[in-house]
Amino acid sequence: MKISKTTVLTIPALAILLLSGCANQPKPLYDYENYSDSYYNYKKNMSEESALEYQKSIEMAIENAKESRSGRVAPGMYANLGYIYLKSGKTKEAIDNFTKEKTIYPESAHFMDLMIKKVKIAQGDKK
Amino acid sequence: MIYKNLLAATALVMTLFVFSGCAPKMMTKAEAFPKMYEEHPKSLLILPPMNESTDAEAKDYYMTTIEMPFALMGYYTFPVEMVSDIMKQEGAYDTELIYNTPLNKFHDYFGADAVLFTRIKKWDVSYAVLASNLTVSIEASIVSTTTSEELWKYTGTVVVDLSGGGDSGGGLAGLVLKAVITAVNTAAADYVKYARVANARLITTLPLGPYHENYLQDQGVQILPQNQGN
Repeated sequence: MKISKTTVLTIPALAILLLSGCANQPKPLYDYENYSDSYYNYKKNMSEESALEYQKSIEMAIENAKESRSGRVAPGMYANLGYIYLKSGKTKEAIDNFTKEKTIYPESAHFMDLMIKKVKIAQGDKK
Repeated sequence: MIYKNLLAATALVMTLFVFSGCAPKMMTKAEAFPKMYEEHPKSLLILPPMNESTDAEAKDYYMTTIEMPFALMGYYTFPVEMVSDIMKQEGAYDTELIYNTPLNKFHDYFGADAVLFTRIKKWDVSYAVLASNLTVSIEASIVSTTTSEELWKYTGTVVVDLSGGGDSGGGLAGLVLKAVITAVNTAAADYVKYARVANARLITTLPLGPYHENYLQDQGVQILPQNQGN
């Protein structure tokens, strides 16, 4: 029995169609990775480890934002990261992230400017 | 023959039954929440949840589930962790005290268009001899920071039968077995998992926000209205 060339070509074509069919499910508007789970775990067991996991999930969500339907980093992610930096005394990184938040989401500008101002005043106090 | 007629009559009665009083009256999003479409809030300030349950931890745990569903509906959601810490520092962590007060201060301080209040109405397991139910019930409402008027409100409730639903056999042995299963399930009961389901239920009635591609195109979507005060 001879398998025709069309059959050989059709099978992978069908396979691709099937696979892409699954991928065609609408992607979520934002990519949160496991932000919600890690945030819950952080609240449940406050430890260095859970804090690190929480931070990692935010960094992953930022890194993979392009994969989402909007292609944007989800609201509050840069602010969350900035706040983590702020709490560990890394003021430059904090300001950088607060600035990124308000660049993507102008709705946050008022609040982010206020935070940046506070950070700068606190820095001035130290000097 | 008689049997056939009876069957036809029953079918007719059943049909009438379904179409009459039993069918819940639906409403469009625009009819249920006209103020959302008038005011167009873009940003939601999620305040620390109000906790009416007996579980003190519910507040902190539930808080971790709110940002995602509301952001995915197209709203800018302020970072919950930061906002709740600021509210703590300002001595305003008890949202109960803020509810029903003018909200302009949240517009002035955060620049938020609206505040999102959440109320944990139930977060518990009720024990009974034969079955134990886990219930999570969340009431969420959006209130304008310019007019302090309520723009949207909906309650999502999830009830889970922890005994596993099925009958585990008759007699005393069956009862004991069922009690053991229930105890095990209760220990592992993950409220947060079901709180997310409650969120998913209540969020479907919310008009879409500006970051959603179907913004201002969902006025005609049918929802099930809820009676006020239940």
